[in-house]
Amino acid sequence: MLSTLKSFGLTGIDGFTVDVEIDIVGGLPRIDIVGLGDTAVKESKERVKSAIRNSGLEFLPKSITLNLAPADIKKEGPIYDLAFAVGILSASEQITTKDYKDYIILGELSLDGKVKKVRGVLPMLISARSKGFRNFIIPKENENEASFIENINCYAFSSLAQVVAFLNRDVNKENYLVKTKRFADIATKNTNKLDFENVKGQKMAKRALEIAAAGGHNVLMIGPPGSGKSMLAKCFSGILPDLTFEEALEVTKIHSVAGELDLNEGIITERPFRTPHHTATAISLTGGGAHAKPGEISLAHNGVLFLDEFPEYSRHLIETLRQPLEDGYITVARNLLTITYPASFTLIASMNPCPCGNYGSKDRECSCSPTQIHKYLSKLSGPIMDRIDIHVEVDNITYKELNAENKEEPTAKIKERVDKARAVQLERFKNSKVFSNAKMSVPQMKKFCPLSGDCQRLMETAFTNLKLSARAHDRILKVARTIADLEGEENIRPEHIAEAISYRGLDRKYFK
Amino acid sequence: MKKKILTYLSLAEIPNKKMEAVMEIVEENGIDDIRKLVADKGVMSVLSANEYANLAKKFDVFDSYVKNLKSDGIEVIIIDDENYPNRLKDLPDAPLLLYVKGDASLLNSDCFSIVGTRIPSNYGKFVTEKLARELAEAGLTIVSGLAYGVDSLSHRSALEVGGKTIAVLGGGLNHIYPEANTNLAEEMMKKGLVISEYPPFSPPTKYTFPLRNRIIAGLSLGTLITEASKKSGTIHTKDYTLDYGRDLFAVPGNINSSKSELPNELIRSSQAECVIEVDDILKFYGIDGVKKEEKTVEVSFDEQTILNLLKDGEQDFDYLAQKSQLPTNILNSCLTTLEIRGLIRRMPSKTFMLA
Repeated sequence: MLSTLKSFGLTGIDGFTVDVEIDIVGGLPRIDIVGLGDTAVKESKERVKSAIRNSGLEFLPKSITLNLAPADIKKEGPIYDLAFAVGILSASEQITTKDYKDYIILGELSLDGKVKKVRGVLPMLISARSKGFRNFIIPKENENEASFIENINCYAFSSLAQVVAFLNRDVNKENYLVKTKRFADIATKNTNKLDFENVKGQKMAKRALEIAAAGGHNVLMIGPPGSGKSMLAKCFSGILPDLTFEEALEVTKIHSVAGELDLNEGIITERPFRTPHHTATAISLTGGGAHAKPGEISLAHNGVLFLDEFPEYSRHLIETLRQPLEDGYITVARNLLTITYPASFTLIASMNPCPCGNYGSKDRECSCSPTQIHKYLSKLSGPIMDRIDIHVEVDNITYKELNAENKEEPTAKIKERVDKARAVQLERFKNSKVFSNAKMSVPQMKKFCPLSGDCQRLMETAFTNLKLSARAHDRILKVARTIADLEGEENIRPEHIAEAISYRGLDRKYFK
Repeated sequence: MKKKILTYLSLAEIPNKKMEAVMEIVEENGIDDIRKLVADKGVMSVLSANEYANLAKKFDVFDSYVKNLKSDGIEVIIIDDENYPNRLKDLPDAPLLLYVKGDASLLNSDCFSIVGTRIPSNYGKFVTEKLARELAEAGLTIVSGLAYGVDSLSHRSALEVGGKTIAVLGGGLNHIYPEANTNLAEEMMKKGLVISEYPPFSPPTKYTFPLRNRIIAGLSLGTLITEASKKSGTIHTKDYTLDYGRDLFAVPGNINSSKSELPNELIRSSQAECVIEVDDILKFYGIDGVKKEEKTVEVSFDEQTILNLLKDGEQDFDYLAQKSQLPTNILNSCLTTLEIRGLIRRMPSKTFMLA
């Protein structure tokens, strides 16, 4: 007996249809799985066998061949367990209808016959929907992920027995149908995040982060240990604009593929904030590997990648960020396949001004030798610094400041201004592929950042008197554009340029 | 001929003291050829076995070595030469020859050295830059040792105002130390002068740095110490300066700052003249300072507020924000504008001070 079912597989975050073919013939009892499956697929036969038996069904002692087509693409994970089981039961006529042909079947089985969650349900559903599939059988645990996709019928099950009853039309279909939820209903507004209200002082850093959020600029924070760099970075994702539904789906897709999705929520409603440690490997950052998974930079897609102690990351690691910072995606090539993951994030890096951290501090003496400081600072390569628009210094605050009574501005208020500035930019770039000032191309800069005579004179004197490096020019212009947007100004004015220049600390002589 | 023999001895890395002894023998015996020099018994007895072997070995490479010096733009000046610095000549331990690259005429100009710690405080940086600039503007040649901190700040400040400056290295001219100052050294070879008593291929060692300080002190009319701790290597320069009977100047600093220990102590013990403005040095030498016209700069109300707040010394950004009550963006842009106009200085960790 032969039966054919549909399932799905993933390369990167896009899916492909997998035909699951089951052939049962007489002969010595055995199961063979072919079709370039990984170990998890090969081991599937033991799970399927036990699951069928423990669900009160019969597993025929016959010669069974399972094939996953197309046979030249590698398939990973236990997601085909349920499809195998349904196929075998159908071939052995324990499932009597041919209804299964209408569904894409996804799910892992446990030995006792339970259907368990699998990775990447959301991207598979989205991808399958675009290929014209409408009906799905998925694990109950993945139900939340599926509930935000419109125009599909998803049926969620927690055991093999339920699936069999369902396919045999013994139960009401509607009982298992996943109800669609609306994104707007659950999109929470920064519930339990750190609020800028709780960060005392640090006015300059807050302003710099506000500009960064408004224009999509990358930021480098420089300051001694314990000055609140990490705290500021954590607050930062709160002032970024809310995720749109499309962005949320994209983020959720990546997290789903990586198996990092909180299954109770189903969809990610807040901008991700990722903080890989500086001992991370290049692959954990970029993604890929033998069982290709998105890396930290893709998990930070549409959110924030925070690299604490920036110079401690190996040179090699930091250089891998160059392409994604420029293009917003990363392409990893492995011997079997080449995968592209989205990776458009805001980089927030932090560092000490020197190895001991006290260089330039008012009240503590730096114990580093000039050579040490020079070596430490020279770890920041030019190409990476070229992609960081804003450098801001953060210093320890005094006890008095810490206990000051004055109210600090809450995140919500800053966010309002950021949202406004973003709206201006969306309008400005509506016919291009760019969404923010930070990503402006050179011709766009010419068009959108015209400088008046006053501004040009200021730029000129600034360059000669402050000895700014040439690479600072474009950065200053972009940041000045964002500052003008925050003020609701059509044209860049000298004071905007002056402020933008103040965020170029590392280009300056006084830091050498 | 003397120049040839001295260069040859220097190439063989014979120390200054022994060079002198050898030169005495050369004069007594009337040696006029380096072949004879190597064969001379008296020379042999002055040098150690190693040194002698080295001398004999370098024999063949001598000509190509001298040629290389020329193509590198390096000039050799010996103690008999006219452009050998007069102030250095009479010293008991004057180097017998100097390798120089750049404008050699600076050696006999009015030299004045500025030395101090390699890690100056914000105050130290401010003082060094200000005084170096003003002294260079008044026509003095700023001498220092190309080290990090006060040394390189002095050189840079002199170059910035188009002044003259000399760096004295602790190693050969092809071994710029610290490496990070290579660009500075190259600029000085074009616009100023870089000198060393060691042959170009010779790397600096921890013994050569204190020794080159004698050249810094000996070359100069006087020496200014802006910031240095009691354990600093600046002590050597101070000692040489006093030994040679040159003038010592020091800038007072906070009594709780380790970096002002040495200058404060020198002022207390009257070993150094106290310097609080450039005229303290210029008047000492009877030089008329360049009178700068007091420029009246127009500043906005907000900018004036900031200038007033900075009158009591350096302040950090948060203090200024709190006292001036200016919004962050306006404060930031005012500070940058003031800085561009040269009215204030920005220091690390967002600290500001009047220029």
